[in-house]
Amino acid sequence: MTQRLAGLLIILLLQTPLATAADDIPLGVMRINGLDAPGLKLDSIDGDPYDLSTTGGHWRFVHFWASWCGPCRREMPSIQRMMPLLEDTDLEFVIVNTAETEDAVFEFLGIVAPELVPLMDTDGTVTQVWMPRGLPSTFLVDPAGKVQYLALGDREWDKPAYVAFLRRLAGTDHK
Amino acid sequence: MHNKRINSLSLLTHAALALALSIASGSFVAAMEKPYPGPFFENDELLMVVIPRTAEQMAAFYEARGFPQRAIDTVTATCFVTIHIDNKSRHITWLETANWQLTSQGKTLDILGSEYWDASWEQIDLPQAFRSTFFWTQLPPVVDLHADEPVGGNIVLPGNIEHFDIEANFRTGADKQGEPLQVRFTDIECGTTQAQP
Repeated sequence: MTQRLAGLLIILLLQTPLATAADDIPLGVMRINGLDAPGLKLDSIDGDPYDLSTTGGHWRFVHFWASWCGPCRREMPSIQRMMPLLEDTDLEFVIVNTAETEDAVFEFLGIVAPELVPLMDTDGTVTQVWMPRGLPSTFLVDPAGKVQYLALGDREWDKPAYVAFLRRLAGTDHK
Repeated sequence: MHNKRINSLSLLTHAALALALSIASGSFVAAMEKPYPGPFFENDELLMVVIPRTAEQMAAFYEARGFPQRAIDTVTATCFVTIHIDNKSRHITWLETANWQLTSQGKTLDILGSEYWDASWEQIDLPQAFRSTFFWTQLPPVVDLHADEPVGGNIVLPGNIEHFDIEANFRTGADKQGEPLQVRFTDIECGTTQAQP
């Protein structure tokens, strides 16, 4: 009986990592609908094709931005700084530029975040399908392709609270 | 239910002082020294900043993004005002521009919304990428602002306006039944204030 209860407890603990993460949601991040992520099929600025629907099995950090947007300009360096802090997880960064030219993107990212390789939503139609509340917007997509969290506006992503939150998400579902 | 009305006297004083200084000195150095780049209201629940833009500023912004001249001409024929709002409360605050009263010389003004711009862009066959960029530069008409959520963007008025007032009404709470908040800005000058971006 005791062994059975212990086993049940272990199963429950293994099944609750998302709830634990949700309990510690940092300021400015909200749990949302859990519906299927909209389509996201774009080429990167380097010309490499990407399709979100074919990259399941791990959490995705889907971020929409534009270089003309002040909050985006403030936020992007913090994303650049956050990425190495999470490189031991398999959190995937999907950075989508909204309706700008390669020149505009290259000019901006070359200075503030040279290691980022954004996807180019050249006419903005993919961004509109995702219906962000504004730019910048970040969606967290779970390994099953469901949108579970939304970050409101710009965040200082390299702050410990955000890094720990993302680490909990990524760490619990990929290892 | 109480209707909280905030007559922003300090705001008006600041705005009047900035205007007076600008006339006296020929610059807006005083306005630049304020914490926000335009008239503002701030309390524990809400920050709202109003930044009037000149036609030259808007032309420069969209020209730098490659907008064609015919689109620039459309933009500069109107009055742009950048609005920034932070929901500093712990509850939902509703941005609903349909509940705002914009008036000039006693007449109600309508914000030029998506229908106006869609028709304008159709008329000049503006490419989709520019339409998308323009869309994201506009203040969304409805947002349920969560705790600590900012929102910003432009509202656009007809170009023949010189001065106008804004009465921004915000409902609060998820069910919109919380204590409403009203913020008023008066004598906003359209298109001539050298506000800093």
